[in-house]
Amino acid sequence: MNEIILMSHVLFGVGCMIAAVWLFVDVLQVSDGNLVRIRRVSWVTAVLMWIAFVIAGYWYVVSYKVDKAIILKGPWPFAHNIVMETKEHLVIILLLLVTYLPIAASDNLVGSKDARKLMLWVTGIIALLALAMDGEGGLIAMGVKVGLLPK
Amino acid sequence: MENTTLSKRTVAFGIALAIACVVNAVIVVIKEKSAAVMAGMKKLSGHHWTTHSIIVIVLFLGVGWALSRARGGRGIHMTARGLIGTVVSGVALAGLIIVGFYLFAD
Repeated sequence: MNEIILMSHVLFGVGCMIAAVWLFVDVLQVSDGNLVRIRRVSWVTAVLMWIAFVIAGYWYVVSYKVDKAIILKGPWPFAHNIVMETKEHLVIILLLLVTYLPIAASDNLVGSKDARKLMLWVTGIIALLALAMDGEGGLIAMGVKVGLLPK
Repeated sequence: MENTTLSKRTVAFGIALAIACVVNAVIVVIKEKSAAVMAGMKKLSGHHWTTHSIIVIVLFLGVGWALSRARGGRGIHMTARGLIGTVVSGVALAGLIIVGFYLFAD
């Protein structure tokens, strides 16, 4: 069950990243025809990340201590000391960005070049940051794996 | 003719985002350097990270709301370039502080 909780966090996080890339492309082509979709997908992006965050927060507070002990005793202590420590705080920035996204999307994207530019920056940063979080998560999982390998 | 202004809410919450990002990073440094602060944050919600997250999110929403009502409800005026610069700088600075702290100062 523990692993299912953890993997569901990854699933929602990747969903957020995909939605952000989708949004980036859609905003490049914004028109009256896709404006409603852009605003809806902005909310979807935010909801996906919030779900990923809450699941991860639960798992981190309740279950991570076991993995942490394995990582710290293993050959990759940096997987916790640097990677997890940065991830758990960088992800708050990501959460703020996705929460801001529907606000930015509610602006006049069709009529305002400024509003479009802002959306492109925000969605671009979200996509890159989500990718970085995914990569950090992979390193942390590897830290557990190498910690469990026989010496 | 293209509209080149952003809504007051977009500007307000964009500034709030930048501020909350930097405060997030500063809290990281403070709590990691002060056992008392870490213990206090843990006591508030059961885990320091939970307290940290709540503080930053509430700050973002509160500052955004306040700024959107500034100047008698007219909000803060800022060009798109200025707002994008503020948001990107806030995110970048926060990221540098967090990563730099754990790489070099922790």
